[in-house]
Amino acid sequence: MNEKTKVYVGMSGGVDSSLSAALLIEQGYDVTGIYMKNWTADLPGMKCPWADDLADAKRVAVQLGIDFKVFDFENEYKHKVVDYMIEEYKNGRTPNPDIMCNQEVKFKLFLDASLADGADMIATGHYARVENDMLKMAVDVNKDQTYFLYRVTGEALAKTLFPIGEFVKPDVRKMALERGLSTAAKKDSQGICFVGQVGIRDFLSLYVDQKPGAIIDKKTGKTIGHHDGAIFYTLGQRHGLELGGGLPYYVIGKDMNKNEVYVTTDLNDGALWENTINLRDVNWINQAPENGTYQIRVRHRAKLVDATLESNEYGVVLRLDNPERAVAAGQSVVIYKGDICLGGGIIA
Amino acid sequence: MNKEIIYLDHAAATPMDLRVITAMEPYFRDDFYNPSSPYAPAVKVRRDYEEAKHLLASSIGAKPGEIIMTAGATESINLAFNEIGGHVIVANIEHHAVLNCAKLHDHTIVESDSRGFVSADVIKAAIRPDTKLVSVALANNELGTVQPLRDIAQVVRQEREARLMRGDKTPIYLHSDASQGVSQLDVNIARLGVDMLTLNSGKMYGPKQMGLLWAASHVRLNPLIVGGGQERGLRSGTENVAGTIGFARALELATTHRKFESERLAKLRDSLQTALTNAFTDAIVSGHPKHRLAGHLHISFPGLDGERLIFILENRGVLVSTGSACAANKGTRSHVLMAIGMTPEIADGSIRITLGHLSTPENTGLAGNIIIEELKKEYYRISK
Repeated sequence: MNEKTKVYVGMSGGVDSSLSAALLIEQGYDVTGIYMKNWTADLPGMKCPWADDLADAKRVAVQLGIDFKVFDFENEYKHKVVDYMIEEYKNGRTPNPDIMCNQEVKFKLFLDASLADGADMIATGHYARVENDMLKMAVDVNKDQTYFLYRVTGEALAKTLFPIGEFVKPDVRKMALERGLSTAAKKDSQGICFVGQVGIRDFLSLYVDQKPGAIIDKKTGKTIGHHDGAIFYTLGQRHGLELGGGLPYYVIGKDMNKNEVYVTTDLNDGALWENTINLRDVNWINQAPENGTYQIRVRHRAKLVDATLESNEYGVVLRLDNPERAVAAGQSVVIYKGDICLGGGIIA
Repeated sequence: MNKEIIYLDHAAATPMDLRVITAMEPYFRDDFYNPSSPYAPAVKVRRDYEEAKHLLASSIGAKPGEIIMTAGATESINLAFNEIGGHVIVANIEHHAVLNCAKLHDHTIVESDSRGFVSADVIKAAIRPDTKLVSVALANNELGTVQPLRDIAQVVRQEREARLMRGDKTPIYLHSDASQGVSQLDVNIARLGVDMLTLNSGKMYGPKQMGLLWAASHVRLNPLIVGGGQERGLRSGTENVAGTIGFARALELATTHRKFESERLAKLRDSLQTALTNAFTDAIVSGHPKHRLAGHLHISFPGLDGERLIFILENRGVLVSTGSACAANKGTRSHVLMAIGMTPEIADGSIRITLGHLSTPENTGLAGNIIIEELKKEYYRISK
């Protein structure tokens, strides 16, 4: 008799990964649940609820009668995701830690550790699909998470299952409820896990000194207010400027060396709009596409827009038919052909 | 409470006794007045409040003026440690409330033996000329081991007398956290020989967030919470009248039924322990075999995962714990089990069963059968 395929499923304690585990069992896999313990800022008022999540994951594993293990990636996560994020902010960019977590932790460390422990494949509760080692958008386009997965390699995807990629979220909850999973009604997690309930700003202020600087109206060149560190500001940001009264101001640039933030009230200001996007650190999941017209997405769940792609020695240049609201350096642009996610890069 | 649930975690929380609720009820609406107000209805509330404190005091053999009402045992412990400006001694199996208070001071953490027993000799050896406080719980919350408080009190008293003899005025106090075991153990302060005692209403079928600190008249305290000067200035804030009334009734009931209840629980516990150790011959029962809380059964099943057992048993309606709820929630190994030298493998296979008011011969027997059935399945599952 053939041995069943051994799948290690990452269980976060949420409904998506809980149902993923249940579906894999029903599909005949030999399933083991894994909780990945990542780094958390254990500071007063900044608790990531990982202990509760671990208990929820374990409870579901017990319900399903499967083995359950904890993989401790605390040090690696701190090094590869948290330190990276802080470093990027220090350099004036706005990074996306979820993308880095998928690239470095879930589809590298977790995959390697699982294979070394005897698994044939891994699975996660992402809304995405894999077809012929290619990454495909989820059936639920509202929930599609391919934006966060564009830095995963095709080799990793070849060993990955996304059991809920075929379903829409309401059905996922319904199926979880039908199976009596204790996480069926659990609220979706919000924001970056290791930051917990507080904002990124409070988190960063633990690692960087607050340095007062000028907020300058680019048009008039006048200083119209002060901030407590250019690092906390990001291109296009409107809220949190605390300038009071009048038209809203938008951040249109900053100078990290001078610690200055530039703003405007003019929504049509050229700095807020982009015709051309330069990408560095480009990752192609399978192979580099030929120059031509593709669809791109500049943030998670953003509408797909057409762009002409041209590869050069530095990376990729994307030319847009219609200007897009500018996106901060450090953020990712993900490139699609139809519903296939080809890869993407980081805004230079 | 849900009929299908068999609750075996009385050391974590206890359901309020209906008689306690009845005693409290008038003070939520009819007698809601601030006991500090001057008019007659408020004066009546003040009188009831003082009477409740009287009852609390007499239940432990103390004077009402020596009792400070607090919002639970953790606050009482913090208050007991707050004035201390010198060296403190605690045991390594103490609750985190005590351990973390000790760590704010110059401290020595003494070791218990493998049964969770803190001997008076170990305390004696740790006492220094500048030691101001020794704090040992009456009974350990994980193992149920009851400490030889009277012997420890003797050691502390000898040290006090020795200091007096040489004209040294440095005080030394003995504090005991008696959160566990009030329903089963004598908590008379004179017999215990302590200088300070912490009690916790939420563990004795009274309201939660309600506790007290008794301190002998020679003990100097320093308030954690200042304000309107209630509780002789040692704990400001409008008195929790309903809570105190409920607490007093709960302690009164515990005292009245103590002997009967501890005998009843010991019988139930012993038969459950026999059933489990007969079914699983390599199971390890921890805690002191003789000096152990009547309702307590700490048992380890080498090779199994205690946390997993909790969820398995939960599916069958049987609620047990791996140890103190705090430690379990942190997903880390119990410091108590590490302190008594248990190997990680055995510690990981541990569960804590604590019986109480909700335990009957029928549901305890049924729980025993369920535990045996589920554990056998689990042993079979991991053997594959």
